Amino acid sequence: MKRTISIMLLILVLAVSVVFAGGDKEEAKDEKIIRIAEQVPGLITPGVWDGQAFSMNGSMYEYLAEMNPDTGELEPLLATAWETEDGSTWKFTLRKGVKFHDGSDFNAQDVKYTIERTQDPTIGHLKKQDFEVVSSIETPDNHTIILHLDEPRPTFVYQLTDYNMAILSSEYDYASLGESKPMGTGPFMMQQLIPKESALLVRNPNYWAEGLPIVDKLAIYFVPDIDASISMLESGRVDVVPFITQVIKTRLEKNPDIKVISPYQEMRFISMRVDEKPFDDNRVRLAFKYAMDPQIIARSVAQMDLNDGIFYNETPIMNILAEYKEIPLRGRDTKKAKALLAEAGYPNGVSVPMYYASDHPFGKELAQTVQELAAPAGFDIDLKGYTRDIYLSQYWMNVPLSITGWAGRPDPSMLLLLAFRGGGSWNESHIDNPKINALIDNISEEANEAKRLSYYHELQEVFYEEGSLIDVQVPLLIAVSNKIVNYRHPLTQIPQYKYMDVK
Amino acid sequence: MNKTLLFILKKLGSLLATLVIMSFIIFMLVEIMPGDVAQMILGQSATPEAVSALREARGLNDPVLKRYGRWIAGVAVGDLGDSIYMQGVAINSILWRRVGHSIILALTAFIMFVPLSIFFGVLAGVKENKLSDSIISFFGLATMALPEFVSGVFLITIFAVQLKWFPIVSVIPIGESLFSNLNILILPALSITFVMFGYVSRMQRSSMIQVMNSDYIRAATLKGMPRSYVILRHALKNALLPTITIIGMNMGWLFGGLIVVETLFGFPGMGSLLMIAIKTRDVPLIEACVLLITVIFSLSTMTTDILYSFLNPRIRLQGGQR
Repeated sequence: MKRTISIMLLILVLAVSVVFAGGDKEEAKDEKIIRIAEQVPGLITPGVWDGQAFSMNGSMYEYLAEMNPDTGELEPLLATAWETEDGSTWKFTLRKGVKFHDGSDFNAQDVKYTIERTQDPTIGHLKKQDFEVVSSIETPDNHTIILHLDEPRPTFVYQLTDYNMAILSSEYDYASLGESKPMGTGPFMMQQLIPKESALLVRNPNYWAEGLPIVDKLAIYFVPDIDASISMLESGRVDVVPFITQVIKTRLEKNPDIKVISPYQEMRFISMRVDEKPFDDNRVRLAFKYAMDPQIIARSVAQMDLNDGIFYNETPIMNILAEYKEIPLRGRDTKKAKALLAEAGYPNGVSVPMYYASDHPFGKELAQTVQELAAPAGFDIDLKGYTRDIYLSQYWMNVPLSITGWAGRPDPSMLLLLAFRGGGSWNESHIDNPKINALIDNISEEANEAKRLSYYHELQEVFYEEGSLIDVQVPLLIAVSNKIVNYRHPLTQIPQYKYMDVK
Repeated sequence: MNKTLLFILKKLGSLLATLVIMSFIIFMLVEIMPGDVAQMILGQSATPEAVSALREARGLNDPVLKRYGRWIAGVAVGDLGDSIYMQGVAINSILWRRVGHSIILALTAFIMFVPLSIFFGVLAGVKENKLSDSIISFFGLATMALPEFVSGVFLITIFAVQLKWFPIVSVIPIGESLFSNLNILILPALSITFVMFGYVSRMQRSSMIQVMNSDYIRAATLKGMPRSYVILRHALKNALLPTITIIGMNMGWLFGGLIVVETLFGFPGMGSLLMIAIKTRDVPLIEACVLLITVIFSLSTMTTDILYSFLNPRIRLQGGQR
């Protein structure tokens, strides 16, 4: 018995010594601190960053430009100005007097390194394809950088606002330190990072913008469960919880200390694979579209009215974008849908499985609504819901009918090349339509804005007639304590904590 | 004493063999799982060339046996290696903190459920078919049937939301240690207690009934010994044997398998770390977690055996003779 007790004691002592290795306290007196509960990130090094923990990376790292959430315009950040003649040569003037957190100076070499790094096969950079078009980079002086592209890309500057294009120091070893000691030029610096558990960021004393950031610290908790995050918010232990669901929103509406805001919409593509039966026949795709009722979808998915926070169209262009062309909604017509199905050779209807990510906000609600709406028209839909990681790794891209979450891109041409151009790497519907391909090429190469807009409009008409998707735009929901002032979160997905304050 | 030492040495030897075999099996299992680190990193944009280049860079293109050899050579000298998913992050830097948390949670739960369930188990066994027995047995059945995520939500609703005695989530505030926040352990430990109470108290009850009906207890009672003396000195010692086995067998689970409880309460322990490791196919991290759980499991089995021999001299003698 004595031995057992001594073993137990030994284990306890070991555990105590490990756990007592604490760190810096979260809160001292008179310090302004914003506390955030986020999903547990996978990788956080820019380039392979999986798009979780936006508050952490978005505050440590910076980009050449940032988006103003009110106007949607790009504003100078690490670049003070940029210009292009025809879209194939881009000249950026870089900000002077900027320092990385390790004390080194920011200059053109760092931007060059950041862009060249996209092509390094040992990194697995997620922006590799988008930057293959860069043929050469010139750095005439320390604060100027010129990019030469193989083809004109009049909206190329938007590529540099992608969250994986944070500007990195050319002298820092991100391969071995990126996950444990991340470092950039941003308004906050990493003070303590416990992987998969928490991060404490402190104000960057050398930040180039006077008076920013406003708060002293960001305390970020990585919480695997959204309900646990919400509990922390309700009990006042955190101030911000991004990416909540509609159900949670309804619950939080009764709480006077918390507001739920929706800075922008995200897309859910209901995508029909066009190189396989049954959706290879445009009549089947049209029948499916005629079976839908946008108003019902809006009500049952988000308990909102259509065009009031939730939008619906049949093209890849979000309703809030300048490129959007208003095409009247089709209107539900089950009879017509049935007739079209019969014409296509399915007089008795058609059975098809629909795959979706069940743990994605609005995923399950949308799948069930679509299933019910499509049934009377003769679509017998078998719902296949999987968690997001399994859905994306095992099924997405290889199934006849799917619902996938897509973030809105400030410049839709990026999305078009990726997902709707024949040969695009995320072309989930396998669409390879000569008309669409030509229009997408025109859009990405046309420097004249009015002309580009007319291509966009034409493209949306083609999608309406023979496209492969239904685009439901659901609100991105963020729960914020009333203590937080001036929450800013533009379409680039990066929340701008440097402008925020706490009451 | 010599024999006990020999016994422990033998056990340690078999533990080592178990660990080697175990680690090999896990390496192979991860190999069979669909997807690998390269695919996880590249995610949606994975082209075959990119995946293969990244595999090459991370040394994943080497044959599996070579990779296993490389890994186990490191472990042999105490180096658990780096995470293969999170480049540059040493496993030692993320593992031990969580191990500490998990041990403390397991011990807290242990301290709560063991005396509780043994006491009520004995009580129910002694008072067989009386009202107190029915109440205890019913309660035991009810808590056993409730999965921990249900009892956990109950506990949260009552103690955290209504009474506000304990925090809703067991997250350690940034910069503080578990020891300045011991109250976060109570609710997760209670919900584990709920699960374990049913098993252990029922086991204790039935073995108590068996022992109480045996001849030697009857003889002792007939000899005129006081009832409490019979129960505590004679019956309990024998009736504890199966209970100890059950508890010992569950220590491994208590230490590393609390994935549901940890997720529900947001507690940063081993279970959720193992979950993260599996999701990202991070072989070195999976290995480290599983091996530690195996060690704890084996150690608790060993402790159980030693306790057993302490409680039952017959086993001790036989074990020594063999």
